[in-house]
Amino acid sequence: MTDNVYSTICPGCNFGCGLYIRENGALEVDFRKSSPANAGKLCRFGMSLPKIFAPIRPMVDGKETTLEEAAKEAAKRISASKGSVGFLSLGNTTSEELLAIQKIAESSLYTGMVAGLPEDTYQTLNIGIPYSEIEAAKHIVLFMDPYEQYPLIVRRLLFAKNKGAKISAVWWKDLPLADENIRPLDVSKLALSKDSLIIADYNPLSDTEQVKSVLALAKNAGARITFLKPFANSTGAYLMAKGIKQKSISQLVEDINNGAIKTLFCLESDPSALFPSETLAKLSNLIIQAGQQPSSKANIVIANEPLYKKKGTLINNEGRAQSLGCAGTDGLDALGIIAGAKFDFDTLNESVKKAIGITTVDEFTIPKYDRPAYGAIQASIKSLDTKTALVSVYNPFMWSGLADDNDFVELNQRSVQALKLMKGATVKISSNGSAIEKKFRVAPVQDNILLAGKRFGIEKGIITPVELSR
Amino acid sequence: MQKGEMYVGWSTKEEVRKRGGSGGLVTSMLAAALEKKLVDAVVVLKKINEFEAVPIITSDVNEVLNSAGSLHSVPSHFAKLIANRNLKVALPAKGCDVRGIIEQGKRNAINLDNTFIVGLNCGGSMHPVVTREMLEVMYKIKPEDVHGEEIEKGKLIFETKDGKEHAITIDELEEKGFGRRESCRYCTIKVPNNSDIACGNWGVTGDLVGKATFVEINSEKGAKLLQNAIDAGYVQVQKPDDKGIAMRGKIKGVMEELGKKWKGKIFVPIETGRLEYFRKELEHCIDCGACKTVCPTCSCGDISKCTQYHSRGDAYKMSMYHLVRFLHLADACIGCGQCSDVCPVDIPLTRLYRRFANPVQEQLKYEPGMDMQKPPYFEVKLNE
Repeated sequence: MTDNVYSTICPGCNFGCGLYIRENGALEVDFRKSSPANAGKLCRFGMSLPKIFAPIRPMVDGKETTLEEAAKEAAKRISASKGSVGFLSLGNTTSEELLAIQKIAESSLYTGMVAGLPEDTYQTLNIGIPYSEIEAAKHIVLFMDPYEQYPLIVRRLLFAKNKGAKISAVWWKDLPLADENIRPLDVSKLALSKDSLIIADYNPLSDTEQVKSVLALAKNAGARITFLKPFANSTGAYLMAKGIKQKSISQLVEDINNGAIKTLFCLESDPSALFPSETLAKLSNLIIQAGQQPSSKANIVIANEPLYKKKGTLINNEGRAQSLGCAGTDGLDALGIIAGAKFDFDTLNESVKKAIGITTVDEFTIPKYDRPAYGAIQASIKSLDTKTALVSVYNPFMWSGLADDNDFVELNQRSVQALKLMKGATVKISSNGSAIEKKFRVAPVQDNILLAGKRFGIEKGIITPVELSR
Repeated sequence: MQKGEMYVGWSTKEEVRKRGGSGGLVTSMLAAALEKKLVDAVVVLKKINEFEAVPIITSDVNEVLNSAGSLHSVPSHFAKLIANRNLKVALPAKGCDVRGIIEQGKRNAINLDNTFIVGLNCGGSMHPVVTREMLEVMYKIKPEDVHGEEIEKGKLIFETKDGKEHAITIDELEEKGFGRRESCRYCTIKVPNNSDIACGNWGVTGDLVGKATFVEINSEKGAKLLQNAIDAGYVQVQKPDDKGIAMRGKIKGVMEELGKKWKGKIFVPIETGRLEYFRKELEHCIDCGACKTVCPTCSCGDISKCTQYHSRGDAYKMSMYHLVRFLHLADACIGCGQCSDVCPVDIPLTRLYRRFANPVQEQLKYEPGMDMQKPPYFEVKLNE
């Protein structure tokens, strides 16, 4: 008997948190305290990983099969649908697999990029600054909720604050660590300087104008800006696909809706978190290759090993290359079956290192990246054209279909009193003829705003006009 | 051999002597226990580098013989690792490991009759990320160049690959915010006499310094473990000299006094605003539950009062989760520091738990994990 212990990286977001997964009958999380990104610390999602890594089985049209047979059937259907196949890869897997799928997808690769952003901002959007620079900043401006969205950044912010940094939050509710809380619609009150560092969230569902507006704020003030991203290898996905033709999620939704894409192959990407169910229903074939249970109902499931058993390279928000210290290449082999040619791991690994400009993967050294300035940006901030709105806040649970305890909304005390809501009861939320009832938590949220860390099915984007009643 | 006897011993295997700390006695004793089927499994640290090792449970004698020696920058804890696994196991254990194992035993999660605890003298451990930074800032050496480490006469010494030694006093390191984890500074269990057999280099004298381990037998199981290793030809022992025994007692005393001083320094009484102090410290909590998961004295599992009374939807100024844990840990906290280590928002949780535990444990004259005394909160007697 010897324990199987895997040194791995959490797939919850692109923070790059190291941990061990221990196979001890059931799976257990163990803390890898030497990990440079997180010092062994994990958020609520990281602590839930044994649930997300529950075993899955290869399936074809609802029948269980082998990984190889599932991949062969996928290859057959992709070949038969030539011209109407899309390949979706958000970056939740190794850089080596991301290079492999590019070769298969050719011009039909859809990624987590957001449409409508200037090309000269891509590097800024996709490669963050080292966390040590956040700790050394004098003025930090948050366009996100660090506690809910990227919890491991909180300790870096507190470190900076203890060293004298001022923290401003441009957010829908007051954040305990902020010295100054500004509501998003009052952003004109924000004073920025060259000493300011803006931290924002960039994910496939980000609002183009909102992203442009924070980029413009930084540009106009000469402030630094960095984005945090949602997938284990978001930064790697950008670096590996640099210069490759790729399309956005919004383009994919359009292409499926107009019938241009009828077969969709998803590599470690669960489309149900991104698309309306009516869009998914238009597909003739949904093929998902994954190491964790997808929440979408797929025609073919190519169940490869979970991330913690994979061999390969991830690149975190800081641009830090991290090696998954395991041996699994099932995913790469399955991609080989689809491509009709075996992918050699070592060759791909060399290409990955070349793309980053390194010769060895050393998690303790962050490679140097160009940080080119981007041009002036025109952004139009939309006013809130509704009296009351539900704001959906991204968090790692949303992408994975994992059950969470975020089943409530936050609203402020004035709203609770105005609606005469009772402690322990629910609030009725109506939108476009749909209505749901949710528990609520009293929090220092902006008037007439409901915040939710979970999607309830009535959302129309990030901000949904709603009506409230008891 | 019997309880109370002391020896100085070393491994008979040259490779183990070279790799292991202080003559490789502990490694050899564990390997012998496995080979002679005294136990079914052994816990060892599988070394990745000078700052990382992962604890594993193994039945492979070679894995034990190849395991890491002393690593001060690997603040792991073994109690939860062996809990609820129904193993006949031997394992090395710092004072806090021993205390956690005994508390799990009281909660029926570990069968102590089947658990051979090899206690390791411990002056404290360091967080690996802090150690790396300390090496660059204080020692001006690259962590990758470090070959070995030792604590001697109040100094933390790193040996680099070029054979040079780099020493700074622990006092100086800790003044600058480096050095040992906070909980280790005020820990007073330096020689784990609560284990079956206590091992360490304090008390080794003359030519044997660095080449042997001082051993004190604390239980019948401890005697059995050592005798088994001698009978198997893995270990040789001799009686310690009086000078060594005196020296060991002196070091132990000095270290314990230092721990008490740190305790006074850290736990300055909060005269006013006690509630606000705790509320402020906890305001960044993200409800990850890592502090409970890692806690070596908690054996409640997923369904427990602290989680059942708490909901993320509550808007209390201080969560029921923490309030229940403060209460539960008042008689159970062993001050191991694991909760502070893993807290993602750096709440000094051990310090907060000890704020409750120090007065409660002092008043009830109860030290968890030191013996099999029933925890006071297991049996509350009401005065009529």
